[in-house]
Amino acid sequence: MTNKENIDNAKTWSSRSVGAPWQHRFFYFLIRLGGRHIAYPFLYPVVLYYLFFRPDQRQKSRYYLERRFPGRQGFAAWRDSFHMILELSRSLVDRALVGICGPKILQTEFPEGKRLAELAAAGEGLIILTTHVGCWQAAMIYLAKLKRPVHMLMQQDEGDIDRHYFEHSGRKNPYQTIDPTGFLGGTLEMVAALKKGDVVCIMGDRRMGAQANSLAVDFLGAPVQFPVAAWKLAAVTNTPLAVLFPLKTGPDRYRIDLAEVIRVPQQDSRPLGRLAPYLARYVSCLEELCAKEPYQFFNFYDMWNE
Amino acid sequence: MHETSLREQLKKIIIEELNLEDIDASELNDNDPLFGDEGLGLDSLDAVELVVLIQKHFDVEIKDMEEGREALASISSLADFIETRRAG
Repeated sequence: MTNKENIDNAKTWSSRSVGAPWQHRFFYFLIRLGGRHIAYPFLYPVVLYYLFFRPDQRQKSRYYLERRFPGRQGFAAWRDSFHMILELSRSLVDRALVGICGPKILQTEFPEGKRLAELAAAGEGLIILTTHVGCWQAAMIYLAKLKRPVHMLMQQDEGDIDRHYFEHSGRKNPYQTIDPTGFLGGTLEMVAALKKGDVVCIMGDRRMGAQANSLAVDFLGAPVQFPVAAWKLAAVTNTPLAVLFPLKTGPDRYRIDLAEVIRVPQQDSRPLGRLAPYLARYVSCLEELCAKEPYQFFNFYDMWNE
Repeated sequence: MHETSLREQLKKIIIEELNLEDIDASELNDNDPLFGDEGLGLDSLDAVELVVLIQKHFDVEIKDMEEGREALASISSLADFIETRRAG
């Protein structure tokens, strides 16, 4: 079995879109026609379709929402699912919008952008820990300004027709992609990039591959296995780790929050359990975010019972 | 002679610095796989440390998948890789 097959078997989520190719093309057409003003209204029937006629998809929103809003049932639970699926749909439209119209189509503020730029400019390497929150494409203007090459640990499932933003206009990927299904999960490329002083972006909330490479930390009241590769890399390469959340604050507005900068001392790289307090700081940031923006954490699988 | 000592040195570094306390250097064959279920059983997180250790002790960098796949196959291949890099 290949590394990719192992990872695909181990993970309980998929990056694959639930929409048909024609549905994606329809929305790309609407965006080209009139931007988000035309595309957003068409999201309502799509979201309602998934709520009423695709109970399997609605159920996927319930794993997280039942933890975030325990005890909610009936119409209140239905309304939560509606909001969450609508927010996800809007973020997908925004992602395509950036690809088709360019990043300046969104008004993005980054109050601590200077701090992130200074961290990257220090030349000691920087890990940006991203999460399935908001729309990270909103952060691309700032990532491009970092003046250091940016590498993305990114997996696209086979058959996924949901395009990355740079694919819309036929542009070259502005980032260097590291494939987590490659040899040793792309760790060699990540170490080499950090040693050169580059920036590496890693998703912090989804595990790919072996359970052994994760640690259980309480999230919304119950333990969840979170991946530890980013923390291990930070410790071993003595690299700071910045937790970034790009949040939607208005129809065409985003704010990037630099939730925390975490440094992991080298001596805490082993045994794995010593990384838990640092991981818990990220999870605490995520819980705070879920408290403030409950519908912007796009979790559609049962991460508590993987 | 020099190559043998490099292999022994590598075994010592891997066992001591990756805290593989239950493994004795004498039990480790030069051609045993370092990663995967057979052999030493290291994983991708161990690879992170191993790459940094190689750089720290031998000033040799393993930059990518192609180099790593070949170099990190076994103690022998790692020793060969270090020797070649040092000679170059």
